[in-house]
Amino acid sequence: MAKNKLLLAAAGSGKTSFLVNDARKVKDKRVLITTYTEENAKEIKSKFRGKVPANITIQTWFSFLLEHGVRPFQDQMHIDLHDVRIGFLLFSGLSGVKYRRKDGTPVYWGENQNFFKYYFTDDYRIYSDKISKFIIKCNEITNGAVIDRISRIYQYIFVDEVQDLAGWDLEILKLLFESSSNVVLAGDPRQVTYLTNHGYKHTNYRDGKIKNFIEEKCNSRRTRCEIDEETLSVSHRNNAYICEFSSAIFPDYEKALPCDCPDCRRDHIEHQGIFAVHPRNVADYCALYKPQILRYKMAKPPEMNYGESKGSTFDRVLIYPTEDIVDYLRTGNLEYIQAFHTRAKLYVAVTRARYSVAFVLDYESDAQLMTGISRWQNSIRSV
Amino acid sequence: MYIRKVIIKNYKCFYGSFELELNKGMNIIVGPNEAGKSTILEAINLALSGIIHGKYLQYELTQFLFNNRAVCEYLASLKSEHPLDPPEILIELFFEIEDESLAARFEGTGNSLREKASGVQFRVKFNDRYQEHYSIMLGSNDDINSLPIEFYDYYWSTFARNTDITPRQIPIKAAFIDSSNNRLRSGSDVYISKMIHDYLTDEQKIQISQSYRKLKENFIADAPIDRINNLLEQEKLSNKKIELSVDMSTRDAWESSITTYLDEIPFSNIGRGEQCLIKTKLALRHRKALEASLLLLEEPENHLSYGKLNELLRYIEENSCGKQVIVSTHSSFVANKLGLENLILINVCNDTGERRKTRFGDLKEDTCRFFAKLAGYDTLRLILCDRPILVEGPSDELIVQKAYMKYHNGRLPIQDNIDVISVGTSFLRFLEIAQKLEKHVVIVTDNDRKYNEIQEKYSSINNITLCVSKDEKAYTLELQVARANRRNLGHLRSILGIPTDKYQDESAIAEYMFKNKVESAWKIFESDIDIEFPQYILKAVGVGNGEE
Repeated sequence: MAKNKLLLAAAGSGKTSFLVNDARKVKDKRVLITTYTEENAKEIKSKFRGKVPANITIQTWFSFLLEHGVRPFQDQMHIDLHDVRIGFLLFSGLSGVKYRRKDGTPVYWGENQNFFKYYFTDDYRIYSDKISKFIIKCNEITNGAVIDRISRIYQYIFVDEVQDLAGWDLEILKLLFESSSNVVLAGDPRQVTYLTNHGYKHTNYRDGKIKNFIEEKCNSRRTRCEIDEETLSVSHRNNAYICEFSSAIFPDYEKALPCDCPDCRRDHIEHQGIFAVHPRNVADYCALYKPQILRYKMAKPPEMNYGESKGSTFDRVLIYPTEDIVDYLRTGNLEYIQAFHTRAKLYVAVTRARYSVAFVLDYESDAQLMTGISRWQNSIRSV
Repeated sequence: MYIRKVIIKNYKCFYGSFELELNKGMNIIVGPNEAGKSTILEAINLALSGIIHGKYLQYELTQFLFNNRAVCEYLASLKSEHPLDPPEILIELFFEIEDESLAARFEGTGNSLREKASGVQFRVKFNDRYQEHYSIMLGSNDDINSLPIEFYDYYWSTFARNTDITPRQIPIKAAFIDSSNNRLRSGSDVYISKMIHDYLTDEQKIQISQSYRKLKENFIADAPIDRINNLLEQEKLSNKKIELSVDMSTRDAWESSITTYLDEIPFSNIGRGEQCLIKTKLALRHRKALEASLLLLEEPENHLSYGKLNELLRYIEENSCGKQVIVSTHSSFVANKLGLENLILINVCNDTGERRKTRFGDLKEDTCRFFAKLAGYDTLRLILCDRPILVEGPSDELIVQKAYMKYHNGRLPIQDNIDVISVGTSFLRFLEIAQKLEKHVVIVTDNDRKYNEIQEKYSSINNITLCVSKDEKAYTLELQVARANRRNLGHLRSILGIPTDKYQDESAIAEYMFKNKVESAWKIFESDIDIEFPQYILKAVGVGNGEE
């Protein structure tokens, strides 16, 4: 088996289970399983059913970076950091604004201009968009002590939802490839939902282009990483309708197929497919099918945002589409969804469901609807 | 796995930073009283366990754990323009760990040396959460005369600056066998229960908990208890249900209420000697793959008879292979037995109050073996005294002391920090130790009719005063004493209580003294009658230059 591996597979194909099973097989060596979001870290923990073996650590990516990347040698970056307790701040956009011009455009601190203001808040919380850069530099200054330490602690490093990593994170992956640790990455390039800004590093490998990064930047003998797109090729979650519909959102990728093993086939269940539900019927629909409701943003529990739902599985979902998604649903023309991350989030939302995906759509005012979507009628009321 | 270095700062007698390297196996800490020997052991144990004086630190946190000078400086500064931050105690343990993964977890630069190393840092410091209260306190007009200990807390962190660490995760477990006499009023001794805890497997611990739970159930179900509980219920003392039961509130409740028995006597009530032996044995048997145990033994000679001490030392010698042992002692016997090469001398510099340490690691192996076999020699007296005078035997010792008293207003040498030590014929072995300490040594010896040979023997050794008589006819102490008093032999006879007719001349008296060696020297020492002393003895006590 190759020391480093990237596993690419569609939603519902069992990536997380695959990683967890691989991790379980490792005995007597220490294992790290890391992923971008708290939700997915919980999901991974739940797959161990409360019995995470002592040699396995499950930690979010940023928590891992802070504990093992930043803190052990932080003072090597600046002696004044020796006794500082460095914290963490999740920051969207570019951090370290020095001031704003009259027109409101921000001017940023430079790293050499003010080291502290560049990397940290006033109370020494390191900005999420700079944390990886800090670590890469710290590793350079210490002649590789940071990565060396990590690879001695963890002989196996598993990264789930690797498509969420970008910018300087990718450099960290590259260094881990070179280290003595075995690195296994799993992800789906269609599910990039957390676009925290990673500065200007590797901008051309955003939008789920992790595979390109590995092919183009990690092709030396020392950094080699095997890419596996075959092992997990079928969806154990989504039925044929949902596979068909979700694959259409990313036509450039291999189509996902539903698993046809007896465990996964549930033909006896009624109301399977893709549906449009009129706003006035939503209450009835919810009462009847109890779908998980997904919104683009500002969802209040138990409703969820599209991105937040990543990693979860539901029998049925009811999605409130954004305007550009509505246009797509009417026409089937992908050009209506320009933003990559909107497509990615839609893909995530759709692929959560086992049996049915419904969109709240005011369809009577316009008859047109893309093929594959059925109009849901409340049969009880119409009688 | 062992502690290779310890740094102690502002703890008890340690003002500022004190750094001590430790050996992998045996370490014997010696030094005068108040040098901080026991404090070192206590500090190591505290940093590994959070336990001090047999209790958890939270119950024992007082100003007196802090170095007094540091506290005074802080308090004085509060009245000045530039108040200092509240002082903090720092104890750092540098580990040497074979397991790479474990070593890496504790590795980083989060230590006061900024050194890339594996270890843990333990700090007792001001809790920043109380900054506001503290500012109010400083702003008030009241004088602050003691450390605001209520704002203090203690913290562990690895050198990787990971603060989510508790003593449980520290891979080195200490067994501290201290000489203090405070027994706990109830329950097991903290150490013994901790050690048993460390010794048992998780499965065994669960079994104990379950048995303990059953004990509780049986207790409640027992008819008399049931009746009492019913009675309490009827009394209507409260709206809530009142009953007697067994405390199960803590996770390891059994630990606090189950006592270890030895021959049907609770562990805390058996002799200290036996306790000491059992604790030591438990500590040295501890065998967990990724853990090491450290034995901290404080002055074992204090509560052990000679026989038990010997048994303990033999057990340590035979079973401590690969395990780290740190012993503090005043006993030469302990030090000799456990190996002089492992000796660490701590002493206090009179001028600065700074603690200094000397190691004996490069003593000749042969010398160490010599003292280990002949453990009765007073090696520590040589090490600890200011000005040693080495003599052959007890009669020389008595005569030298008497001579000293004669010329120093009746004071014993020891009152002036001069120690007269009998070393038999092992002068050179002792001198090797003294050389390490760069200590000036006075040597008092018979010439054995070989004056030149003796001069030659010591010629290459620096920093000694050799006191030996040139007069080869007087080749023993007794002949020398008789000769020195040849003008007044009557004095000598009356001191010794011998008749003139039988002991007419110098040589007869000398012969008598030689045959009753120590007895005669003792009589001279005890007597109020002044005698004359040989020149080489006078030289040893600082009178004249030894010329005859």
